[in-house]
Amino acid sequence: MSDPNLIAMAEAPAGSGRPRSLAGDAWHDLRRNKIFWASSVLVLVVLLMALAPSLFTSADPAACALSNKHKGPAGGALFGYDFQGCDVFARTVHGTRNSIEVGFLSTLLAGVIGLCFGLAAGYYGGAVDAVLSRGIDIVLGIPFLLGAVVFSGRLSAGEGDDGVTAVTLTLGLLAWTSAARVMRSSVVSAKSQDYVAAARMLGAGPLRLMFRHILPNSIAPFIVVLTLMLGANIAAEATLSYLGVGLKGEAISWGVQIADAQGQARVAAGPLVWPSVFLAATVLAFIMLGDAVRDAFDPKLR
Amino acid sequence: MFGKRPWKMAAGAAAISLLVAGCRGGDSEDPTATANAVVIGIAEPKHLLPTNTTDNNGSQVLASLFYPLVDFDAGRKPVEVAAESVTVDKTNRVWTIKLKPGFTFHNGEPVTSQNYIDAWNYGAYAPNAQDGGYFFERIAGYADLNPLDPDGAGPAKAPDPTTNKMSGLKKVDDLTFTVTLSAPFASFDSVMAYSVFYPLPKAAFAKDGVIAEGFEEKLIGNGPFKLKGKWEHDDKIVVEKFSDFKGVVPKIDGVTWKIYQDDMAAYADLVDNNLDVQTNIPTDALAVAPADLGERFQNSEDSGFDFIGFPTFAPEYENPNVRKAISMAINREEIASQVFLNSVAAAKSFVSPVVQGYRENSCGEACEYNPTKARELYAENKGPAEIKITYNQDGGHKSWVDATCNQIKAALRVNCTGVPEPKFSVMQEKLKAKQNIGLIRLGWVMDYPLMENYLGPLFTTKGSSNFYGWSNAAFDTLMKQGSAAATPEAQVKKWQQAEDILAQEMPIIPLRFSRNVFGYSTRVANVDMDLFKKVDLYEIETVA
Amino acid sequence: MFRYIVRRLLQMILTFFGATFVVFALMFANQDDPIQALAGEKPVSASLRAALTERYHLDEGFLSQYWYYMSNLLTGDLGVTLTGRDISALLAEAWPRTLQLSLMAIVLAAVLAVTAGVWSAIRRGGALDNGILAFTLLLLAMPIVVLAPVAQLVFGMELGWFPATASREISFYTLMLPAIVLATTVVATQLRVTRTSVVENLRADYVRTARAKGLTPRRVTWVHVLRNSLIPVITLIGVDLGTLMSGALVTEEVFNIPGVGFNLARGIRNEDGPLVVGFVSILVIVFLVVNLIVDLLYAALDPRIRYE
Repeated sequence: MSDPNLIAMAEAPAGSGRPRSLAGDAWHDLRRNKIFWASSVLVLVVLLMALAPSLFTSADPAACALSNKHKGPAGGALFGYDFQGCDVFARTVHGTRNSIEVGFLSTLLAGVIGLCFGLAAGYYGGAVDAVLSRGIDIVLGIPFLLGAVVFSGRLSAGEGDDGVTAVTLTLGLLAWTSAARVMRSSVVSAKSQDYVAAARMLGAGPLRLMFRHILPNSIAPFIVVLTLMLGANIAAEATLSYLGVGLKGEAISWGVQIADAQGQARVAAGPLVWPSVFLAATVLAFIMLGDAVRDAFDPKLR
Repeated sequence: MFGKRPWKMAAGAAAISLLVAGCRGGDSEDPTATANAVVIGIAEPKHLLPTNTTDNNGSQVLASLFYPLVDFDAGRKPVEVAAESVTVDKTNRVWTIKLKPGFTFHNGEPVTSQNYIDAWNYGAYAPNAQDGGYFFERIAGYADLNPLDPDGAGPAKAPDPTTNKMSGLKKVDDLTFTVTLSAPFASFDSVMAYSVFYPLPKAAFAKDGVIAEGFEEKLIGNGPFKLKGKWEHDDKIVVEKFSDFKGVVPKIDGVTWKIYQDDMAAYADLVDNNLDVQTNIPTDALAVAPADLGERFQNSEDSGFDFIGFPTFAPEYENPNVRKAISMAINREEIASQVFLNSVAAAKSFVSPVVQGYRENSCGEACEYNPTKARELYAENKGPAEIKITYNQDGGHKSWVDATCNQIKAALRVNCTGVPEPKFSVMQEKLKAKQNIGLIRLGWVMDYPLMENYLGPLFTTKGSSNFYGWSNAAFDTLMKQGSAAATPEAQVKKWQQAEDILAQEMPIIPLRFSRNVFGYSTRVANVDMDLFKKVDLYEIETVA
Repeated sequence: MFRYIVRRLLQMILTFFGATFVVFALMFANQDDPIQALAGEKPVSASLRAALTERYHLDEGFLSQYWYYMSNLLTGDLGVTLTGRDISALLAEAWPRTLQLSLMAIVLAAVLAVTAGVWSAIRRGGALDNGILAFTLLLLAMPIVVLAPVAQLVFGMELGWFPATASREISFYTLMLPAIVLATTVVATQLRVTRTSVVENLRADYVRTARAKGLTPRRVTWVHVLRNSLIPVITLIGVDLGTLMSGALVTEEVFNIPGVGFNLARGIRNEDGPLVVGFVSILVIVFLVVNLIVDLLYAALDPRIRYE
């Protein structure tokens, strides 16, 4: 997480004989937090699945035969077979990488753009705010589908491109506006606080004010929006696939699975439910982990 | 600015907006208000002017508003409907059409031969840019209304047409006119059954050759139903019985053509009994439709033909044996039963069973599933190690393309991938530029029930839908001879010989013949659909 | 304050032109062959192609196409679609439906998010908090392409609580189910942001002061804390309102509501530049107005924020 307190911590002196540092306090707290452990384990499992899917299944996710259509769990296929007669478990495991990649990178992209726009617009106000905010309005005005169609059509690397880059860019470039607006709003209200005026009077420069004083005190809603955006973006990839501008060719992801299976939900729910469960569990893990870490580092909560 | 309690103001504003939102609407009529009327689901038609209407949604609506010159009987032979007689001279060039007397348009104008001539001339005139204009190209004088661009896609523009009247159309008297073709064609009566050949009343034209503003919204036809109100875009088109109609009178008093954006939404309304007929049950609902609808889930023959084309200009697909091997690796029956749940039939010929001259399995061994033989043949002829099937993603083709690829993978032991393109036009563009995009998903729906309507556009060198660039001189000659032959029987003979060439050359892989897959509510009975994917409006009736 | 509003209104005009330009450029970049896109798989004859190309200036460059469009727009003529329909009539038909739907959705979502958000902030870490978290995440993890058909199936067709589609007439009742579906797409984020914001503010000095004054806990929470926590939430609601209007495409399709999302999708698929730009222009104006209201609400909620 790009928690600013983490940055602050890294700079704090970590002497051994002194009273415990904030980071030490936090770790002390976290070690006893069951939610922290549960969510960390879950996150690690998901990351491992993304990096080395073959550790979890030896089945080939692309080996499908219509004769297996919608068959129940059998042999290695824990979750049964989908419409095309593919192993649902193998596909879900192998789909992790693309889903996590799309979710992470697009959220990161949206976060970086949103942070810069929101911080600058909120802090400087006036003409800067006007230009940046109206820029945000214009981007908000671009319909999701249009952006997706243009990006996936024009950013495609051509032959054999699986569309991961295009989908990531589409989601990132269209999703940052809400993060930016939320950031701006918190900065606007933080800016008028007394401690900012005090710091300014003490001679703090604009960058220092922004990053050391205003940002840490206004980032909480932004972080919340980002953690949820991670989940929403993984799910949005399914919508892109449904609209025909998602991943291409043989690329597998939870979104592709969900989009493929949704029409047959009344006949066979398994191929739809399992990737959705993985998606929900992943999002839940990231949110709980983020919450736990943030709470542990928050001095006001002690 | 908000006083002391801004949050209360905000809450109040929210409540008010909810209320305002709730009070809107509610002024539209109940579409099933008339007891003896039916509600049929369609998508928004692109146009409704007959000469500009080539999509199924529009032509269904037109079928309720207009009465065709000819229609087809159970044996798929043309029979006169609004025409008293349709005859041709010995040269097969001059057709004489006599109209039945006494018919009027919905505004009271009598239907005369001039109404047909005016409408057809309007449709054929290039600057009017009518979608169905190409239907008139057999008529003498069509070329004068459609001058060719001298340099194709080059900078020069096509010259303006010198006239807006086709020389082949001649009025004899108020109820008789003649159509002279530029080349003999013995089956032109079958062509004239299509909806672009409907007449237009005088009221349609503001002046000679110019359609009156807003006519398309308030169409006036010569059919059993007349428009009630106007075309309510994206919502519905309501038609009611025309009391002065002199033809065969339908059993229902009206039709509401309810416009849906999505087939599944229409299906939900059908199951809820809010929609009386859905003409195309979506693939996703096929598995549940028998349980949801029982006996009211039906299917009937239509003319659709689905196939895969080869980029015959690409060297790796030049060899007909490679093409045959791929065809033999596909298990058509399994896809028809597993993916389409038998709503389609496996195709082993190059024309649909609905046309005269269709022969079962004219494709022979090359269309029989035989994985062993396919693999041997493929290896012998050194087929490519990687096969791609390109399809347009907006047409719901993913599931069967993926299944086909899986079969090819299993049988030929080569890699096969389905490659989606956003739209059909993108595929077409790439093919035009002779880009090798691998195998191409294609389909064809006939305009009129003749073998020629499949073989001509799809396989002749200049065929309008020959996107894959296949060209065979012997085939072209046979097609030309067929069109010029004296009788329909002689025509079919030549066309069948041409089809035999296709079986040897395999420029495409026939996959499926589609069917009308439709369902209806408990409110209606006697529902049937014809070859052109239209509900039979003369048979359908409501039940109490 | 008055000058501020005037300035914002002037900015709107510039933004409006900026947005139409960007969207026009995107549509142009996406243009392959609108004539063929419209015809679907049917072949297009040469004379038909030539006539349509000339009618819609399709063979001309980007700037001259934009010029044609803007010069018409400035005389109040939004033009016609590639199928010859009047775009201003289309706008007048589609906008009320979508406005109604998205207002219903946003009010539902906001009421639910703020109430549940405050509750789970007060009982932070409790069963209620975790239960709400799990439930909202489940909704978040379900893409709209799954949620909308499933809701239609369960509440429309099986249970019959709501009409399966809004086909018969667009009314408060028929739009209820689609509005609930739409609300679920935004409620999770709004709820979490409310919760975080309230948690932060519960620890603020003024809360202690208020309690010390002897105010009831309910008044402290629902008046003092909530008012101070609303700024990020209201911002988000403003953004969401816009997203719902342009992004209701799947919901509008599933429930057969021919609104803005549906028309945008049709325009994009048919490469119909004038149609898309027309709808987006109005969309941008709505964003601008909503954002202006949101910014004014900041000042109302927090007297320390001043605009001049």
